[in-house]
This record gives sequence, structure tokens and C-alpha cells, in this order.
Amino acid sequence: MEVMEKFRHSLLTRHEIAREWKKRNKSVVGWTCTYTPEEVIYAAEALPVMVWAGLGDTKLADAYMPSNSCSFTRACLNAALKGDYDYLDGFVESNSCDNRGKTYDMWVQYSKIPNMYFINTPHTNTEKAHQFFYQEVVTFKEWLEQTFKREISDDSLKNAIRVYNENRTLLKKIYDLKMKEPPLISGVDFLEIALSSLVMPKEEHNKLLSQFLSQVERRRNLPNEGVRLLVSGSVMDNTELVRLIESVGGNVVADDWCTGSRYFWNTVDLNGDSLKAVARRYLDKVPSSFMYQREQRFRHVAELAKRFKVEGIIMFLIKYCDTHMFDAPLLRDELKAMGLPVLYLEWEHSMSGLAGLKTRIEAFIEMVGGVK
Amino acid sequence: MSVPERRLKATSGFYKNYVKKFYEDAHRAKAERRPVAWVSSTFPVETLQAMDIVPVWPENYASVCAARQFSVELCERAEREGFSRDLCSYSRCVLGSLFGYEKELPEGGLPKPDFLVTTTCACDTHLKWFQVASRLYRVPLFLLDVPYNVGGGDSEHLDKAHVEYYISQLEELFAFLEKQTGTRLDMDRLRETLAVSDWTSKLWMEIQDYRKTVPCPMDARDAFSAVFFMLCMPGSQQAVDYYTQLRDELRQRAKDEIGVIEDERFRLVWDNLPLWFNLKIFEYLNSLGAVVVAEVFSHTWAGNLDQSKPFESLARKYLPNMANSTAQRRVDIILNLVKSFHANGVILPTNWGCRMMSLSETIVRDEVYKKLGVPSLIIDMDSSDWRVAGEAQVKERLATFLETLRKT
Repeated sequence: MEVMEKFRHSLLTRHEIAREWKKRNKSVVGWTCTYTPEEVIYAAEALPVMVWAGLGDTKLADAYMPSNSCSFTRACLNAALKGDYDYLDGFVESNSCDNRGKTYDMWVQYSKIPNMYFINTPHTNTEKAHQFFYQEVVTFKEWLEQTFKREISDDSLKNAIRVYNENRTLLKKIYDLKMKEPPLISGVDFLEIALSSLVMPKEEHNKLLSQFLSQVERRRNLPNEGVRLLVSGSVMDNTELVRLIESVGGNVVADDWCTGSRYFWNTVDLNGDSLKAVARRYLDKVPSSFMYQREQRFRHVAELAKRFKVEGIIMFLIKYCDTHMFDAPLLRDELKAMGLPVLYLEWEHSMSGLAGLKTRIEAFIEMVGGVK
Repeated sequence: MSVPERRLKATSGFYKNYVKKFYEDAHRAKAERRPVAWVSSTFPVETLQAMDIVPVWPENYASVCAARQFSVELCERAEREGFSRDLCSYSRCVLGSLFGYEKELPEGGLPKPDFLVTTTCACDTHLKWFQVASRLYRVPLFLLDVPYNVGGGDSEHLDKAHVEYYISQLEELFAFLEKQTGTRLDMDRLRETLAVSDWTSKLWMEIQDYRKTVPCPMDARDAFSAVFFMLCMPGSQQAVDYYTQLRDELRQRAKDEIGVIEDERFRLVWDNLPLWFNLKIFEYLNSLGAVVVAEVFSHTWAGNLDQSKPFESLARKYLPNMANSTAQRRVDIILNLVKSFHANGVILPTNWGCRMMSLSETIVRDEVYKKLGVPSLIIDMDSSDWRVAGEAQVKERLATFLETLRKT
């Protein structure tokens, strides 16, 4: 199997991979927000997996969640209610955004997942916030040790940090392949690689990433010349949108997603206390929109746009994602001031939500392409 | 026998006497170059009052705009700037008022802030909305980052680490305020402000207690007006004086058994916000024999403040706010209201742009029914954007609900 096929396969078989892991007498812990300190879970020999659902209806969750709530969050709960995540031994939620924080009640009340845990994530990275979050991570570590009966030694934590840092570094190397004109990897392929990192054991994922890099030169079916785009939004758990963009003449060469560049851009500093370093990494990383450090995210997007020679921006907002929506007009204006055309789209996280956008995306790409 | 006067004296002319005056005072303070700060609800406003900073409440201003039928135009103005129609209508309304508007704004608009203070205690929206305002005005923004009360406990049952983190930020807040105003915090003054605020809370809760009386002497329309002092100026003598007067009047009404309506058939608990653009909806309920005897909103803002522990008691007052807590806290509060106010129905009005209050409505409805057999009605609406649901739609839902209550 070609390496790319292995990534793709891991996405299709993610639940089987988790069940296989459990057969080795190890636990699987689901998480929903990329501010979850995964290294600590990994150090407890548990497999951390991101909970998502892809695009589909959310009938089961609709009974409990109102129509003015985030459809991505609803889709996640729906998947759990359907039983897709019955294998989870634990579940970690956070107050990183209002939709998520408030949906914790539904997870506790209606899902059958055992061992629920809630991490309080500060919305800023002042020293006081760092101190508070460090304590949260310490308590989380103790909870993991007690719940899964595994001691988390400093060595195992250091190892987890090493594995995770390697993953981030390799992902960034592959990301850089998109700088070439035309890019050496398509947006769809990259997203599949990034998403598989969220559900596979990181050590195995690292092996695949290295293999992929060693075979880059020999890859066929490389992307054609196309309009170079950056996609900005909250979270993306499927490749449908990017596939759509790339089917009508665009190349997604950069992104501003929790599950994209924001996930792997920053590593953990290995000097000093391991747990402190892990905690610090999360509050200082390229922020999501719920953080006070808005300008840091805007700078990240602007730098990506320059480095990856982006020609146009598609802002792709999941409805009711308040924090991204408040940022959107300001970010749009900054990018326009850089001379970049911006397409702003709101959608419901579902197949039908996507279908309606095709014409607008096509027209935008034509417009940007025509300017060239 | 003469027909008793059912309208309360203390609340008549409330807007003109207090709210309008509040904005006049704030504009005057601005003109006199006294420090003016924008503040959001669930922020410990007593800290500002103790430093002689004039607090201005954009949320209250949005409700004023809604009552004056201005809110939708202002929301649309913000939407033209790219702010999504699904965002909190308070925030859209206020942002709309900042982008230049051809008509004269109610109460002359909001005075320009010297700085802004906000918190994540009620929602992320406060932070994000104030960030936009801070950028438009080019003034600093202080964030009080509040941990989510995941244990769902009340002020006596909070996570110690949460309280400590909150307190440590109050120290930073005062450093910020001192820098902005050039004045030092006077601890005695803070203690005095807390004592006044504590007394305000006690009076307000006493007022609420009289509404347990059958027939109930005070309706939601009056409560949603009078709660203004609890929110906007709890640490002021004016609040104490006003609530004393209101309390005395209610005490007499309760004694004389004069209710809002003569024949009280349904006693309701009203959650979340009213339709600010149409407070007459409560009179419509009265005409159907129903009285709102308790608003969850009226029971959200009181808190004990201990002068000997000023920082800690501020943390304990604000941190367990329902919006900042797991659903159990909201359920506990509403169960308690239904029981102690002898209510036979709960109205859960959605506020379209508000995730915090929308997301646990089904849990509340199911728990209240399971524990007490009292039904609830969830209505999709918005406090200030009548495009979500207009008067007719809301009235129809309410009437149908009362009809089912009558049959059960």
C-alpha cells in the first residue's frame, strides 16, 4: 500500500484501530478540543483520539441540543449517542468554547461513556493563567493515574513529549511542501495526513510521516497549477470542502484550523519541568479564537498567507461558532488590507450545508484566477 | 368596595427616573473627564465603584435600544459590517451603534470608554464583543478569566483553585485600574462599597420573597425594570434607597393581599431574558390569568459580601453564576423557585444568539418535570431581535401552553 493510502485507510478504520489498541489491555481516551494536553494521556499508555463525526445528520443529538448551537459539537454528541464511541474508556471535555463547555452536560447526562473529565482551559496566557492551567494539568495527570491504574513517570512523560514533538515537526515539514509552485502535496492529501494524526498512535503515525517524506520525490499525481488559497475557520474533520475547492481549480496551500496548522505549529520546550512545559505549550501556541491573544492568530494567518504565496482566502465558519464569528470581520479587513480577496461563508456542518456553497466557491476561484 | 390600585408606585416612571438619569450621569462624567469604563454582566462591578470609575453597561444599553424599538436597525448595521446575524443581539446592537448611524441614538448613545473590563464568567461573547469595541476605540481591555464551575456548586461549594485564581486576578485588576486612573485603591472604600452591595442584595432578595405570597404582588415587568440596580450599581446608596422603598410597598401589598391580578390561576417561573422590545407580553399573560412570580434572572445577581474577606467574597459572589456552571446548578435554582414560589409552569425562552442559556434548556425541562411534575415551555425567540420571533408568535405559544396547564 502506498503511504498516502495508509493515512487514508486509518481514517476509514479509525474505530478499528482504537479497538485493536484496547486488545493490548490499554485504554482509549476521547478528547474534543485541541487544548487537551494529549502528551499526558499518551504517557499513561492510553491512546488519545479526537472525537468527531464527519458530515451526516444529527437526529439523535437534535433531541437534546437546540438548533442555535454548533452543528459540529452536535455531530460529535450524535456520534456518541449512535454508539460509534462505545469503546472509549474515558472522555475529556473543556470550556474552551461555550458550545463545548455547555455540551459537557449532555455528554454526562446522555452518553454512555465512562470516566468523564473536564479540563478548565484559561482564555488567556498571563502568568496567573499559566499557573492555574499547570495545576489543572497536574490534577488531570493524577486523575489519569488513578482511573487507568498507570503511574505516569517523568521518563514516560519525556518520551511522550519527544514523540509528540517529532510528530509536529514532521507534519510541519510536509506542510512546507505546499510552498512549492505548484505545491508538492494537495490540500486534500495534507488534511488526510493531519486528521490521521488525531486518531492514530503517534509513534506509528511518525513512522508513516517519515516514510512519506522519504518518498516525496517519487510521488505521482501531483497537484496542477491552481489558485493558491488559505482556508480559515474553526475545525475541519473531513475533506469534503477541500476536495470541492480543489475540484474547481483551487489549491488549498495553507489553513487556519484547530485541526490543521494550529494543531501542530508549536512544540513543547524540553528544558525544565516536563509537565510545566506541556501546560505552557498549550496556552502559548498559535491560539484559537476563544483566547485573548487574537492578534497572535491574525499574525499567524498573515504570515502563512505570505510564506505560502496565497492568492485568496476562504473564511469558512460553522454557524453559531461565536468566537470565530466575532473575529471574522476584523481578520477579513486585515487580509484585504494585504491585497488578498476574501470569501466569507457560513455553513452548517453537514453535507447539505456544503452543497449550497459550491457555486460561490467556484465563482470566487474564477475571480481570483482571472486577476492573475 | 373600591377597586384596589394594582400598579406599584415605586416602579412607575422607573425608566425616566433612573435609567435615563443613569445615562445622563455617565455622559456628564465623560464630559467632566472622570474615568468611564464599559463593563459586562457577571463582572465584579463593585471594584469599579470603589475606585470612583463610572461603569457603563452595553448590555443594558442594548435592552434600552430594544425597548425603544431601535435594536433591529442597529443589529442590521453591525451585520452590514460583517457580524453574523446569529451572534448575540446585545452585541450586534451595541456594535451597530458604534459604526456611525444616521439617526439620533437613544440616550445619546453610549459614552466612549476610557477602558473596558470584561470576564469569561458569563460567556465568550463578552470577551469577543469587547475585543471588537476595544479595537474600534483604541482603548485597553482587561480580561478577568474565570474558570468554569464544573462542580456546579453554589458560593459555599466552589473549587478552591478556582477561587484562588479569581482572587489573584483581582490583584491584577486593581493594578490595571490604578494605572488607568492614576488613583490608588483605598481598601476601606472597597469594604464600604461591598457593605452597601451586600445590603442591596439582601433587600432585593427580601423583595423577591414577598412575591411568594398568593396573590403575587409584583409582576415580571416591574422586576425586569427594578433589577437594574442589582446589575448596574449594586454598591450605591441609590440602590439601597430605592429597594427599601420598593420593599416597603411590597410588604404592604402582601399584607393587604393585593395581587397583580385578582384571579391568579397560573403562577409561572420565567427563565432567561424577556422580550425587551415588548414587555407588554407580561400583561398579556395577566389577561389570561397568569402571573410571573419569579424570574430566574432576578435570582441570579444577589450574593453575600463579607467585608473582612473582600476579594474572596467577590469571587464567591460571581463565580457560581448559572451561566458559568454546569446544568445542575441551573436545575437546582429553578427547582427551588418552582417549589418556594408555588409555581405551576416554567417558561424557558431561548435567546437566539446565546449558547450559554440555550444549551441546557432540555435538561431543565426534563428534570423539573421528573422531580416536580411541573411542565416547561421552550420558546425560540430573542430578547432584542424581533426577526427571530415576533409578538404574535410568542403570544400564541404562551396561550397554548396555558391551555395545556389548565387541562392538567
